[in-house]
Amino acid sequence: MAPETPPPRIACEGVTKIFAGGTEAVRDVNLTFEPGRTTALVGPSGCGKSTLLRLIAGLETPTSGRIDIAGAPPSETLRHAGLSVAFQDPSLLPWRSVRGNIELALQLARQKAADREVEDLIDLVGLGGFAEARPAALSGGMRQRAAIARALATRPGLLLLDEPFGAVDELTRQQLARDLPKLWEARGTTTLLVTHSVSEAVLLSDRVIVLTPRPAEIVADIAIDLPRPRDPDGLRAPDAAALIDRVVAALSEGMALPDRGIAAQ
Amino acid sequence: MSMAASWTGTSLWRIQASRARALPGLVVLLIGWELAARLLTDAFVLAGPTEVLAYLVEDRALMARALGETLTNAAFGFVIGNVAAIALAAVALAWPRAERVVTGLALLVFCLPLVATGPILRVLYGPGAGPQVTLAALAVYYTTLIPLLVGLRAAPSSWFDLVRSYGRGRFATLVHVRAMASLPYFFAGLQIAAPAAFLGAMVGEFTGAERGMGVLTVQAIRALDVEMTWGLATVATAVSILAYIAIGALGRRVLLDAPPVILAAPAGASRGRLAAWVDAGLVTLIAVGAWWLALLAFGLNPFFAKGPGDVFAALVLDDDAAETRAALAAALGETALFLIPGYLAGLLAGAGLAVLLILVPMIASSAMPLAIALRSVPIVTTAPLVVLLLGRGAVGTIVLVAVMVFFPTFVASLHGLRQAPGQIMDVFDSYAAGPVTRLLRVRIPAMLPAFFAAARMAVPASVLAVTVVEWLATGNGIGSLMAISASLSDYDMLWSSVVLVSVLSALGYAAVGAVERRILGTYAPEQLA
Repeated sequence: MAPETPPPRIACEGVTKIFAGGTEAVRDVNLTFEPGRTTALVGPSGCGKSTLLRLIAGLETPTSGRIDIAGAPPSETLRHAGLSVAFQDPSLLPWRSVRGNIELALQLARQKAADREVEDLIDLVGLGGFAEARPAALSGGMRQRAAIARALATRPGLLLLDEPFGAVDELTRQQLARDLPKLWEARGTTTLLVTHSVSEAVLLSDRVIVLTPRPAEIVADIAIDLPRPRDPDGLRAPDAAALIDRVVAALSEGMALPDRGIAAQ
Repeated sequence: MSMAASWTGTSLWRIQASRARALPGLVVLLIGWELAARLLTDAFVLAGPTEVLAYLVEDRALMARALGETLTNAAFGFVIGNVAAIALAAVALAWPRAERVVTGLALLVFCLPLVATGPILRVLYGPGAGPQVTLAALAVYYTTLIPLLVGLRAAPSSWFDLVRSYGRGRFATLVHVRAMASLPYFFAGLQIAAPAAFLGAMVGEFTGAERGMGVLTVQAIRALDVEMTWGLATVATAVSILAYIAIGALGRRVLLDAPPVILAAPAGASRGRLAAWVDAGLVTLIAVGAWWLALLAFGLNPFFAKGPGDVFAALVLDDDAAETRAALAAALGETALFLIPGYLAGLLAGAGLAVLLILVPMIASSAMPLAIALRSVPIVTTAPLVVLLLGRGAVGTIVLVAVMVFFPTFVASLHGLRQAPGQIMDVFDSYAAGPVTRLLRVRIPAMLPAFFAAARMAVPASVLAVTVVEWLATGNGIGSLMAISASLSDYDMLWSSVVLVSVLSALGYAAVGAVERRILGTYAPEQLA
C-alpha cells in the first residue's frame, strides 16, 4: 500500500498571495507540515484557506515568500504527479462514468492500476454499484465522493482536500471519517484538509491550524493528540470537546482581530 | 448561410427530438400552399404541392443528376470548410493573443459577397467545380469556427486545474477536456453548416457552371417556368432540412446531452478600446498583405486579378475615380433602401413573434419545431419564389431580406425567452406578478443576449440575400452592379465593390456588436465578463 511518491515534508516561509485585483488572500504564513501527518486548515468562509491549499498545490504562485515540498518548489511535485487535489467543486467530467473519471486521474498521472484497485476505491467511498453511472445521475454528495476516490487513485504522497465533504450527507460523512484516515495512515500520506467544520477538523487530523478572516494569517496551531482510530461519537468525550472548544475560541479570536472579521464590519 | 445566425440559439434538441409535434404545422403548411396555388392558378406565380410533385416525377432524371452534382460539390466544400474552421480554431487556441485577429480576418472573408466572389472565382478556376466547392467552403467555415471557439473554452476552470494538478499541460487539456467539451458546440455548428454548404454550392453554380441545381434555377428564372422554379426550391428546401436533421440525429447519438445555448460574447468585450482598434488595424493590414501576396504568388493576369493598389487607384487616383465612386455610392444607396428596412423588419418580426408566442405557450411548443426546420432552409434558394410572388420591385426584395433575418432571430429569441431563470420567475410569482410584468422584467432581459447574437450574424446573411436577389432578379443596387461589372469585364469596378461590400458588412456587424455591448452591459453583464 505504499504511495507512488514518498510523503513529503512541506515548508511555507513568509508566504503571501495578493491577486491581480489587489485582494490579499494570504499574509505571511510560516508553516511546516511533517511527512505522513494529517493537518486541517480551519477558518471562516472566504478567508483564503483554499488559496493557501492552491499555493501548496502549485496551482498559484505566491506573491512573496516560498514554498518547499521535499526540497523542491511545488511545480516540481506537480510535474511528477506527486500530489492529488480533491477540489471543492467535484470537477467530474460529465462524459465519463465514475470509473472513467477515476481512471482519468491515472491516465493523467501516467499510472496503471488494477481494475480491482479502482473497484475497491469506489466501494471505499460508498459508490459500489455506481461505477458506470455518469456524474449527472449522481447527487452532489455522491459526486464529491467520486472526486475523493479520484484523488486517492494515484496513491499520491501529498493529498490536498478542499472542503471535500461539503455536500456529503451526515451518515456517509461519518462513515468516510472512519474509513479515509485508515487508508491514508496505511499509505503514510501527507494530508492537508481545508474545512470550516471544526468537528471534522478535530476528528480527522493530527493538527489543526486556525486562520483569521482574509487575508489568512495563523491564529493558532493546535495539536490533536486523540488516539486513533477515532469515531465520530468520540467527539463528545471530554478531551475531544476541550479541543473543539480551543479551536472555536481561536476562530473567535481571529474574528475579533482589529482589521477584519467582526471588528472590520 | 441563411442559417448563419442559427448557431446563436442552437440545437434545441430536446424540442427537436419531439419533432413529431411539427407534423400538424407541416400539414397545415402544405394544405395552405395547395389552396393558395389553386386560388392563384391564373396568376402563374405559384405552383402547388401536387403540381410540384408531378413536375419532379416527370423530370426526375434531370433533377437527380443536378442534385447529385450539387450535393457532391456541397460535400467537398463542407469538408474543406470545416477542416479550415478546425485549423483556424487550433491557431486561436495555440496562440490566444492571435484569436481576435484570426476571428476578425475570418469575419472579413465571411463578409465577401458571394455574388461577386463567384464570378471572380469562375475566372480564376475556369470551367469545372472549383468555384462551387470554394463558395460552399466559404459559406461553411465561419458558422463552424465561432461555436467551436466558444466550445473549446466551455469548461469550468476547475477542470483545467484538475489536469494541471497531475502535472500535465495544454496538450493533455486539449485531449481530455477541451476536445470533448467542444463537441456539442461543434455539432451545433455542423448542423448549420450542412444547409449552408448546399446554398454555397448553388450560388457557385449560378456563375456559369455546366450542371447542378443552381444552373437549373437560373434557367427556370429566365424561362419564367413556375413549376420548375417551385420544384427546385422544394428540393433544395427538403435537402437542407434533411441534412440539418441528419446531423442533429448523429449528434444525439454521439453526445450525452444537448449543448447549452451558444452565445459568442460580442467581440472586444473584455479588452480596451485601443486594443480593439489595434486589432482592427492588424486585420486590415494582414488582409491587404495576403491579397497582394496571393496575386503575386499565383502570377494572375492583371487584367482581371486586381490588387489593393488597383482598387485604391480605381477609387481615388484614376481620372474616372469620381465616376466609379458615384456609381458605387448610387448602387449602395439603392441596396440600403432594401437592406435596412428588411433587416429591421426581420429582427422586429422575429423577436416580436417570439414574445407573442411565449404568452401563448400552447402555440409556441408546436411552432418551435417548425421554425427550427424552416430555419435550415437556404432562404436565398427560394429567392426566385419571392420574386415570382411579389414581383421584382422593392417589396419582394425587402420581404426576402426580412425572411432571411426572421428565422434565426425568431428561434434565438424564443430560446432566450425560455431561458429566463426559474428561480427569478418564482420570485415574481411570489409577488403575484402578471405575465406582462414577468415578460418585461425577466424574460425580455433574458432574451437579449441570444437576440443580439442573432442580429449580429444576420448582417452578413442579409447582405447575401439582398445581393443575390438584385443579381438574379431585380437588376438594382450593388448586387446588380457587381453582376454587370462581371459580365462587362469591368474588373476594377467588380473588385472595388467586393472590397466595399465586405468592409461595410464587417462594419455593420461591428456596429450591432457595439449596440449589443451597451445594452448587455446593463441587462446581462455576465455575458461580457
